[in-house]
Amino acid sequence: MTERDRLLARPLLAVANVPDARASARALAPYVENPERVVVVSVVEKAGGAPDKAPMEEVEAEAERAFDAVREVLGPVETDLRYGVDVVETIIGAGRDHDATAIVFTPRSGGRLVRLLTGDLALSLVTESDRPVVALPDPDADHEGAADRYRVEGEEEGEEPDADDGDDPDTDE
Amino acid sequence: MSSGDEELAKDLGPLAALTIGVGTMIGAGIFVLPGAAITQAGWFAVISFVLGGAIALLTALSASELGTAMPKSGGAYYYVNRGLGPLFGSIAGWANWLGLAFASAFYMVGFGQYIANIVGVTGGIDLGFVVVTWVKLVALAGAALFVTVNYIGAKETGRLQNVIVIVLVAILAVFTTVGALRADPANLPAGTGLTPMLTTTGLIFVSYLGFVQITSVAEEIQEPGKNLPRAVIGSVLLVTVVYALVLIVMAAAVEQGFIAGLAPNEIAVVEVGRLVLGPIGAVALLIGGLLATASSANASILASSRINFAMGRDRIVTPELNEIHPRFGTPYRAIGITGALILVFIAVAPIETLASMGSVLHLVIYGLLNIALIVFRESNVEDYDPSYEVPLYPITPIVGTLVSFALIAFIAPVVIALSAVLVVGAVLWYLLYARSRTTRQGVLSEYILSRADRMPDTAVSAAASVQPDGGQYRVMVPLANPENETDLISLASAVAKGRGGTVDAVHIVTVPDQTALQYAADHLEEHEEDYHAVLDAAKADAETFGVDIETHTIVSHRGVGEIFDAARTHDADMVVMGWGPSGGSRAESGIDEITGDVPCDFLVLKDRGFDPDRVLVPTAGGPDSELSAAVANHLRAEFGSEVTLLHVAEDRESGEAFLAEWADEHGLGDAELRIETGDVEAAIEAAARDATTVIFGATERGLLRRLVSGSLVMDIVDDVDCSVLLAERARKRSLRERLFGLGKEQE
Repeated sequence: MTERDRLLARPLLAVANVPDARASARALAPYVENPERVVVVSVVEKAGGAPDKAPMEEVEAEAERAFDAVREVLGPVETDLRYGVDVVETIIGAGRDHDATAIVFTPRSGGRLVRLLTGDLALSLVTESDRPVVALPDPDADHEGAADRYRVEGEEEGEEPDADDGDDPDTDE
Repeated sequence: MSSGDEELAKDLGPLAALTIGVGTMIGAGIFVLPGAAITQAGWFAVISFVLGGAIALLTALSASELGTAMPKSGGAYYYVNRGLGPLFGSIAGWANWLGLAFASAFYMVGFGQYIANIVGVTGGIDLGFVVVTWVKLVALAGAALFVTVNYIGAKETGRLQNVIVIVLVAILAVFTTVGALRADPANLPAGTGLTPMLTTTGLIFVSYLGFVQITSVAEEIQEPGKNLPRAVIGSVLLVTVVYALVLIVMAAAVEQGFIAGLAPNEIAVVEVGRLVLGPIGAVALLIGGLLATASSANASILASSRINFAMGRDRIVTPELNEIHPRFGTPYRAIGITGALILVFIAVAPIETLASMGSVLHLVIYGLLNIALIVFRESNVEDYDPSYEVPLYPITPIVGTLVSFALIAFIAPVVIALSAVLVVGAVLWYLLYARSRTTRQGVLSEYILSRADRMPDTAVSAAASVQPDGGQYRVMVPLANPENETDLISLASAVAKGRGGTVDAVHIVTVPDQTALQYAADHLEEHEEDYHAVLDAAKADAETFGVDIETHTIVSHRGVGEIFDAARTHDADMVVMGWGPSGGSRAESGIDEITGDVPCDFLVLKDRGFDPDRVLVPTAGGPDSELSAAVANHLRAEFGSEVTLLHVAEDRESGEAFLAEWADEHGLGDAELRIETGDVEAAIEAAARDATTVIFGATERGLLRRLVSGSLVMDIVDDVDCSVLLAERARKRSLRERLFGLGKEQE
């Protein structure tokens, strides 16, 4: 077993929303042999004693869609929907509960990733974590958001793709 | 949801819930309106506030009962939509949304008055064609600020609310206590009579909108059965007492004519505070007014996004409004639109109009909410089980309805006319937009339509004519290859025809993971030659049945899993699909990909040459064999099928009794009944020898899913020689979940 294999033997993949989930799953895919060893975590951010900034059901639904997006790429992964006031702390707690070998995330170019994993949150994840944190490069980074535009459900007939940039959307790797 | 998660997800305790209500209400009532109220009604202004509180309390009781029965996002709108159906739901939703926008605009103008007072500016800027007052400019800036705060989503503001409410109550307690020492009944300005008092009640009713916002975040409240009624009713009682006391002090602590004699830019509560408590009192009340109007506006903007969410969930408005911002995690579209409305309202309407519009629109909702409660109670809806019940039912909700609507009559005619236009607009919105999209029928029309023979004809036809038709029954047929296209489309057409619905033929093109979906969609021919042929054939076949058909191509990385997703996104009521060696289902990506229950009714055809001449329906009761019966009925109507019902029983006699009753209940009383005893499988096999098609109800949840994905083999299906139809009913279509959405937590 190589060092790399051991580090990602039981990765905890933190995802925030569907585009993030797809990119993160694709970034992790080359390192995954057995998807059942992967735990995907998404955190519903709570206000802690005040109304949340977004309807909880909608946030939960988005998390489920993000899980589906990961499954689409990696296969039958384990998933965990968590609730927490401090997103980073909640992710680290999930890593502990699942006995993860590393917490994995993808800081995406242009800061499109929810603030969960941007700026100082990425930093606090790195500094506060009690286990290794692996930042994987965003496979779509060169495409500047191209992946966001592909509907997860697939395209319906006759629907025009967004045409705001001229990139020919080709394969991802 | 585990209990630990449950605790984290529901993090609003009793105090937090109470402060949502108090914080939303207290700003307007006491910091903006008392001057106008006392000027209009004299000391009767106290009665106006108490009367307003009493009207609000009646609705608060109803809202509490509905809230404990259905602790869901969306509050008042949600109950009206479930109870009275989407027509009234559309009215309540729009009234709630716009009412909150008007109220927020009103709070912000109040905020503007406070800032202008603190800074000491009067007048405004002359733009040549119109003079914009400083008050309105500050109001616009303030509104923009609070909309931005909610757009970006700072969770600190929510927690700040608790502190603000406590500070406000403290300031007002000191004001009232000290003021009471100075109070002299001789100072009370004479009451101006009943009509001005009622008109004043209409104006100040905007002070009583907050309690219903508690119900809009009901899903986040701990132990809603207990805490929700306490918070809703408690907040109304608390603010009514505070309002009454403050009003008494304001009327009695200063000489008559003091308030009426104030300059337009002076704020009554601040000037009385200056007199009673000195300059410190004035400063405290100025700060209090700022905090109060700001927290009212902030809470209302947040609450409006819950209304939008619930409306989008029911497709009264487009669900795209609910999209969560990828960076901020907020429903930014809903908040942005609400914010734009608030800015427009501030710019165009005077402050009294803003307050009155907020009042009228909420009174409409309150009236409807009370009626919805009566409908829930009277229609004996299964699973309507509130842990709090309105006292003195039915008097309380009836009086609540009457006084809510009656108070509207005392509001300025122009405001009533404007509100009427909005209500008519909401009705048109339903008829022209939402009716074809929403699928949820209300309890009321279900009640009327299910008792069509006993109800007055006009009620029945009225209920039927406004039923949602999005609504219109949709039968989705995923087609993978041309072989069994005709059989599937025939079957689907028979069902669609029986339900007066449409067929939606969907061709799913599976492409490898490495291929971007967009690329594949643009280059379909590369993946499948002549990909449209199967849809063209489907169209031709459906047309022979005289059924409307739509066709779609979906490009996917997944096979079977996509069908489940497509059924959801296409709003299918039923999916008719093939399965088996020639069925085209692909299980290559594994069964775990498809999770959860079927999203709508499923009919899966194991095709051995579809021939609906002699249909066998084995049944042991249960929801899935109900679906089998419905399908048998459609086949009989379309193809003149002979239907045989089979029941395998312990003893013949009880079996006969059961089957005869079951057949009657499902409109198959004239079908041939066959009772067998002994081994179930053997009996079905024997009966199937005489049949051309057997319809099985899936007796186990998730059976189809596993069957289709190849993880489960049912011997019986292979042992019979004829075509087999497997029917699985969607769990989500149970009355319980349709009404209350409680299914998830119960699982």
